[in-house]
Amino acid sequence: MDLNYSPEDVAFRADTRRWLEANVPRQDLNTLGERKEWHRKLYDAGYVGMLWPKEYGGRGATPMQQAIVQDEMARIGAPPTINGLGIGFIGPTIIVHGTDWQKERYLKKMLTAEEIWCQLYSEPNAGSDLASLKTRAEAQGDHFVVNGQKIWTSSGPIADWGLLLARTDPGVPKHKGISCVLLNMRQPGVDVRPLKQITGHSLFSEVFMTNARAEKRDLIGRLQQGWEIAQTTLGYERGANSLGRVTRYAISFHQLVRATKTLKRGGKPLIEDPAIRAKMGKLYAELEVQRYASLRIMSALTMGEAPGAASSITKLSYTEFEKRFYDTALEILGPWGQLMSATEEFEEIDTSSGEPGTWATAFLWSRAGTIYSGSSEIQKNIIGERVLGLPKETRADRMKA
Amino acid sequence: MDFSFSSDQQLLKNSAHSFLDEHCKPALVRSLIDDPRGESEAMWKEMAQLGWLGLSLPEAHGGSALGMVETAILLEELGRAAYPGPYLPTVLAATALVQAGTTAQQNRWLPAIAAGNARATVGFLDAGLDWDVAAATETRAERSGTGWTLSGTKSFVPWAHVADVVLVPARSPEGLSLFLVTPSARGLSVRPMAMMDVTSRAATLVLDRVPVDAEAIVGAPGTAAPLLAALVRRGAVGASAEMLGAARRCLDMAVSYAKVREQFGQPIGSFQAIRHKCADMLVEVENSHSATYYAAWALDAQAEDHDVAASVAKAYVSDAARKVCTEAIQAHGGIGFTWEYDLHLYFKHAKALEAMYGDVDYHREMILRRVSA
Repeated sequence: MDLNYSPEDVAFRADTRRWLEANVPRQDLNTLGERKEWHRKLYDAGYVGMLWPKEYGGRGATPMQQAIVQDEMARIGAPPTINGLGIGFIGPTIIVHGTDWQKERYLKKMLTAEEIWCQLYSEPNAGSDLASLKTRAEAQGDHFVVNGQKIWTSSGPIADWGLLLARTDPGVPKHKGISCVLLNMRQPGVDVRPLKQITGHSLFSEVFMTNARAEKRDLIGRLQQGWEIAQTTLGYERGANSLGRVTRYAISFHQLVRATKTLKRGGKPLIEDPAIRAKMGKLYAELEVQRYASLRIMSALTMGEAPGAASSITKLSYTEFEKRFYDTALEILGPWGQLMSATEEFEEIDTSSGEPGTWATAFLWSRAGTIYSGSSEIQKNIIGERVLGLPKETRADRMKA
Repeated sequence: MDFSFSSDQQLLKNSAHSFLDEHCKPALVRSLIDDPRGESEAMWKEMAQLGWLGLSLPEAHGGSALGMVETAILLEELGRAAYPGPYLPTVLAATALVQAGTTAQQNRWLPAIAAGNARATVGFLDAGLDWDVAAATETRAERSGTGWTLSGTKSFVPWAHVADVVLVPARSPEGLSLFLVTPSARGLSVRPMAMMDVTSRAATLVLDRVPVDAEAIVGAPGTAAPLLAALVRRGAVGASAEMLGAARRCLDMAVSYAKVREQFGQPIGSFQAIRHKCADMLVEVENSHSATYYAAWALDAQAEDHDVAASVAKAYVSDAARKVCTEAIQAHGGIGFTWEYDLHLYFKHAKALEAMYGDVDYHREMILRRVSA
């Protein structure tokens, strides 16, 4: 055990911090163009797609270096990169399962955010039970004809391409008749309608596909291999944001401390109230445990261990913590915590700063974490079955077509 | 960044695990419930031979000079076995002597402890049960000739009835001081207390003008406050490790039971009500592992945040262990509530440690003092 950062990582952090201090935009980025420009600048400096192999335009960096960049960006409050789903999940899927032609055509523009990507997975009736999805892709000559509806699509309105899961064989058990194909979002058969969330923002969309066209050369892997590919995609790269996420919690916590020195109860600052102190002490303990856990993940990744099903423990733990964190913060802050400033649209998940007016949005947004990417209940099933080896439940749908 | 155990540490863990599986079975633990001493002399000697009692002591005194990480590894395994005996109190007392004792005190006690010939403990608490030892100690030390006279009451002193030496904090005119007291001292009475946890013992020490000589003071008069605060923190990390072990044992038992116990024609582990409970328990156990070993490492490395980390570990693991052990009983149903089934051994062991070396509320306050300044 040695929880010190290596000299290389310390030096890398210092370089990254210097670069960010010199280059971070001074004003808010309001347009997609400005955000793409900032993304491109980060890319040129080697801070995007860091885990990607060099041959595909990546840096071939270590997971720790990538986590350090995220951490430093959180620390300085830098605007995030865009195309996160593409770079974090879809690109790696193409690298593993794609053809040479697909790699050549799509990867570079994905990294540079010249083309924005979305994931077309969930459907109105296929949430936790994703494999029951109904969107059809029917083969017709050199292409598929796609009909159906997707929901909870991030970056929908700005996406140029989507990674689509669709049913290509309705006559076999549900997990076995799904294929994975790339879909051009800029075509008449694709209709993107923003979905308004409880935060008032529209980070997600519904996507309606009516006789949309997907090319057969854009099929990822084999026909009917889609479920298998989707399973590996869901488990990819969960450590990258862990340090940065905890740093954001810590920044928010210190803002909370500041606020409790101004707000009063019984004529004294809130921070002098023992009941408030107990809540805050508990919160900080949990926050620190999240930090230790993220160091443990980074250690495992550094040793080349694949987190596998254990990443469900991490996801379950931090998303449930995040809910408790904002629940408690809003209990403490009273009406002040419910102020909602006219902030810019949240472009990425996991953004909060503890600035006045941001607590309410963060509080509302924290509801999402325990639902997206496999709800807490699904994570618990995975942990129960694959980590603890508990018997599978009897599932009526496994064999049904 | 390496959060994993080194091969030596893993070896220590494995050998402790298999030794305790063989030599500290629940049957042994149960056989000691009605024993007046409550611990096994044979096992204490074996622990000495394995090098456990000198693990963190200097090599010059027969120890291995290892750190808190290794100590925590052992304590986790001891907690997993609900080992009944004065291991943690002895380690804490020995640490105080290593850090502040005179050469004569070290020579007298450390080799004996490492060899398994002496047990020691620390009487942190006065009657008010306040872990802020520097503020709360009312036991007095008055000068008497060349030595001192100690008067007061020490409560819930772990394993004091078998200790060969007790470290007693007392307020002298110079401030908080620390003294070595042997059980045979005139005016000292040791009164065992009946407690819920059947795997640990505690006693009240009544000091009625107990005379100790000038050589009994550990460190200069009036300088014990920081030493004792550090000792409470070390105890907190050690207790966290033991609670982690107890929690892991309870989780393992719940999972094993859920695989074989059938109701409605299926193993109960196939029901989400039980499976999700077990998943939640695993999250708590893994987070407790991170908290415990981070704090142990931070103590060894004297990291900037080592004091916060100790409080984080104790505050977090106390809650987590309580939750995991309780849920294990729930997952078992009726059998988990019986005296014959072993779960209550670990449940009570963890519960007893929850109250020691600062409870959850104490450590939350310690954390907030540090981070809100």
